[in-house]
Amino acid sequence: MATFEVTGLRHDYGARTVLALDTLTIAPGARLALVGPNGSGKSTLLRLLAFLEAPSAGVIALDGRPVAARSARRAARRRVTLVEQRPYLFRGTVADNVAFGLRAGGVRGPAVTQRARAALDRLQLQGLRDRDARQLSEGEIQRVAVARALAVEPVALLLDEPASSADRAAQQAMFAALTDEQARRPLTVVFASHLLEDAYRWADGLLALHQGRPSPVTPENLFRVDLPGGTAMQQVAVGPLRIDVVSGRSGPATLAIAPDEIVLSAEPLRSSARNVFRGRIVRLAEHGAEMRVTVDAGIELVARITSRSFEEMGLAVGREVYASFKSVAVKVF
Amino acid sequence: MLLLLNTALAFPTVVIGLVIYGLLARHGPLGGLGLLFTWQAIVVAEVILALPIATALSAAAVQAVDPRVRRTALTLGAGTLRTAWAVAREARFALAAAVVLAFGRVLSEVGAALIVGGNIRHETRTLTTAITLATSQGNFSLAIALGLVLLALALTVNVLIQLLQGRGDV
Repeated sequence: MATFEVTGLRHDYGARTVLALDTLTIAPGARLALVGPNGSGKSTLLRLLAFLEAPSAGVIALDGRPVAARSARRAARRRVTLVEQRPYLFRGTVADNVAFGLRAGGVRGPAVTQRARAALDRLQLQGLRDRDARQLSEGEIQRVAVARALAVEPVALLLDEPASSADRAAQQAMFAALTDEQARRPLTVVFASHLLEDAYRWADGLLALHQGRPSPVTPENLFRVDLPGGTAMQQVAVGPLRIDVVSGRSGPATLAIAPDEIVLSAEPLRSSARNVFRGRIVRLAEHGAEMRVTVDAGIELVARITSRSFEEMGLAVGREVYASFKSVAVKVF
Repeated sequence: MLLLLNTALAFPTVVIGLVIYGLLARHGPLGGLGLLFTWQAIVVAEVILALPIATALSAAAVQAVDPRVRRTALTLGAGTLRTAWAVAREARFALAAAVVLAFGRVLSEVGAALIVGGNIRHETRTLTTAITLATSQGNFSLAIALGLVLLALALTVNVLIQLLQGRGDV
């Protein structure tokens, strides 16, 4: 049974629809990354999944049970925990903060201290236990908030931009703790991120949002441009490159090139692809049987290829490659 | 609601005293309670005077609390009461200020206490009404002495509240 099952979800702020999702199913133990630019609806979706707000329309089911009534939302909140982008720590010590959720969940006596301790240990925060929560660095606050959320043993943990305020080491400690937790028990993790590398490295699923709607393309290879207009076949400047696109539009627009539309080759291709750019591989992210290869061709282009072709081509960071894509593969919106 | 509350903040205390006098007077609607010219009547009047200040300032204090406090408490599984408590804890300095100000208004109040209490010796004479009387009788030294007691009282309560706040803030 799915942890979350979303149907016909819509959320409005005033007259503006900020989120519209027909369906979304998140399986137990999943690691789903929500990606998209600021204002794409990631945080709204997380708040709805955390049952902190009631959606304007649609139903979210938790473990197969639709959660609609106020009382049902209250009960569901005991099973889903959200860690905000800039988490708030209550006055008091780090241990007090971790104990808060435990006490709210009815844990009493020495069990509170014990479980708070265990949660802090899992995030390697044992040294901070008695520290004033107001005197921590941003990375520490982030990890304490994750420990506080994990202490209540939720079925789902929601993280809003967990990597934005933490330093690299803190991030790794956090992802390691989440991996351990998932090895221990089925924990569903949904996190919003604009740092794609991390999202791909750790997640096993991806939902790209654009203006509150699922986006057919991932937010990589998204470029703001000014279309010259005039003809249906036009050439538009993106950084130092000139990209051929097919669009009758003119003026400001967003170009999107899906990572699987980009072909990488060692030599320039003689093909129907009108856009061929030479660049150098700057980053690699392995993701199951496929690789995401970031090529710096004046602008950064991300291509998705299978791990097998990656090996067969002998690609590596620093290697020079050609990135090719057809002009019809460039979506304009 | 808030407008009503804010108007109540500026109510002259003698007017409040007058209204309560009217209510508690023998032929008034609550005359049967026999409360007029008792210390209980003063308590009623002072509570009515303090309530708008305490309420308005507490409301402002709670509204100023970071909205993340409420969301954080809720997402950690807290119910309505525990969430309210968490918010109040974060607002405790401002809430204490509300208490101090309301207490100050009551402590220094003379008009209502005089009207509904009647300034009866050993019965309903408060420090402030005693000062009024002593002054009108030309007994300045007594008035000043009582004034000093009043000041000391105000100071003590403020210090106590400060101390209480300081504790548990580590």
